[in-house]
Amino acid sequence: MKRSIIGLFLDENLAADALDDLRKAGYTMDEYEVLTGLPYPEGTFGEDEPKHKLYRWPLFGAVCGFIMGFMITAGTQVAYPLVTGGKPVLGVPPMAIIMYEGTMLGAIIFTIIGVVFESRLPRIFMGAYDTRITEGYIGVTVTTSEDKIEEAEKILNKIGAEDIKRGWE
Amino acid sequence: MNPHVITAKSTLDKKSKINNTLLERHQRNGNYFWRIISLLSVFLILGIIGFVMKLNSGFSDKVIWGYYAAMFAFILTTAQAAPMVAIAPRLAKAHWRRPISRTAEIWSIVGLFNLILFIPILWVLPSLEDRRRSLWFWDAAPGFESVPVFSPHIWTTLALCSLVFIGIMLLWLSALPDLALIRDKGTGWQQKVAKKLSKNWIGTSKQWHWLYHRLGILGALYFAMMVFVHFLISIDFLLVLVPGWIDALLPITHAANALQAGVATMMLTMFCLRKFGGYKDYIGYDQVWGLGKLLFALSLLWFWFWFSSFNVFWYGKKPNELSVIDLLTTGPYLIIFIGVFILNFVFPLFMMIWNPVRRSFWGPPLIAVGVIIGTFLDRIRLYVAAYSVPGIGDPNVSKHALPTNSLPAHLPEISDIFIMLGYISGSILVFMLATKIIPVINIWEQREVTMYEVHKKFHRTEVKILGKPD
Repeated sequence: MKRSIIGLFLDENLAADALDDLRKAGYTMDEYEVLTGLPYPEGTFGEDEPKHKLYRWPLFGAVCGFIMGFMITAGTQVAYPLVTGGKPVLGVPPMAIIMYEGTMLGAIIFTIIGVVFESRLPRIFMGAYDTRITEGYIGVTVTTSEDKIEEAEKILNKIGAEDIKRGWE
Repeated sequence: MNPHVITAKSTLDKKSKINNTLLERHQRNGNYFWRIISLLSVFLILGIIGFVMKLNSGFSDKVIWGYYAAMFAFILTTAQAAPMVAIAPRLAKAHWRRPISRTAEIWSIVGLFNLILFIPILWVLPSLEDRRRSLWFWDAAPGFESVPVFSPHIWTTLALCSLVFIGIMLLWLSALPDLALIRDKGTGWQQKVAKKLSKNWIGTSKQWHWLYHRLGILGALYFAMMVFVHFLISIDFLLVLVPGWIDALLPITHAANALQAGVATMMLTMFCLRKFGGYKDYIGYDQVWGLGKLLFALSLLWFWFWFSSFNVFWYGKKPNELSVIDLLTTGPYLIIFIGVFILNFVFPLFMMIWNPVRRSFWGPPLIAVGVIIGTFLDRIRLYVAAYSVPGIGDPNVSKHALPTNSLPAHLPEISDIFIMLGYISGSILVFMLATKIIPVINIWEQREVTMYEVHKKFHRTEVKILGKPD
């Protein structure tokens, strides 16, 4: 069973030290997190840069939307292949409008799905939290198995956390 | 005590002060606020009465819906363009937009109101069976029979829904950290609402990282969709209704007008927040000047777009082109056009090059009022004129030329005046109510800047040094 604790720090350097010590003690990136009320620049606490694949979603959606738009327009015209005055069966100008809108709609729908998916929503296990985070405190949470939680608490204490809160209490 | 901790404590106090002040302002229930809400509600009810009066006349006579269509276009051009003031400077990483970006994003919620009011226009616009020129090549040649006769209705509705949806997503994402603050520190019903809206936000590094990316992507999509909606509205609900009006520049002119009016809307909103909302400490010269420069540039652009279109018609002088000029510019709506020209171009140009006005708190908002009135008149000039063309929806009337005799100006009826009042009041009402749920000033962006901002003595003056995180 997983347990979660949070150590609260006032100073950014101490929070960064806590992360270093947790890393040295063998805790992996999935087990600890920094919580802040502000968007600190990436790497402030020496944490790994979060990877995301959000940019792929609108691209994939746009491609799907474009294909859909193309199939709707081309499909209807190919279904009634009447050649007039030697002109091509597929009329590109009206097709382009629907294909553009299809592309945009695909990009938008997939972006929204991507936002939900990449955010891992809904988050089932929230872990330890303290409302002082929104005041400006920096929280270091460790969410790990029951047998490793005590050591994590010791590390946070040793570094000088202002307060430590156990998520299960 | 560790010197780092002492510094951290003083920074924490500074951040807490911003939190507490802005949270207190957000939760404050002033008498004036509810009085204004009551007044706007009365006007909105008048608007509904006006709408019911219009409904009694039915949808077959298009001319009576001209003012309604103009009001829809006016809100699309002003309120729904205001979020661009948050999007563009955020993408350019401009710091001055921080105190006003949330205000701009809140305007996107008015899109929902405008979307509902768009529904009657779908009934007003006839199907393509009246054989007007259109984007959709309906029945233009064998092979095009399968194009739906309601193509303009279908695609414009889809585009408008997408625009509104992206706008609301953008607002929600940008407000997530502030909603979490209200959830943790707020009180009353606002806290309950914030709790529901910010359920999963705890402020991990990953969440902040994703927030930035999502804001960037959704901002870019909002811009692309906004331009596309203006393209469809200006063609399907305006240009094609006037036989002989062939203007490739109109869609982009419509969108550029929206950028100008969106900036003006924000300028005026910002002025009201500073003057009456108690945000004097947060909205300063930086914001007025930043927006003022944009407004000036966009006013010049207004002239460029207008003249580029006008010049083609005026120089061409074909009978159709002269008829279009007569209908939209020199004929029955000449006085309105003069008003538009002065308020959207001459007034901003000459006022903004005048230093005492440009460098004041009241000057640029005054110009913004002029631009908003000018845009209002411009939408009336274009939409009322277009909807007054005889034969819309009738396949037996030629759609290739305007009648040779000059059409009379269509003056507003009492129901039109009610609708205008209701439309504008309803939009402001929706905006003001939304500010009770979402803080009108972006609290987390205000706190963020305290990390990067230092005031330093520089010889005999003091300068502000701003750091850039990337």
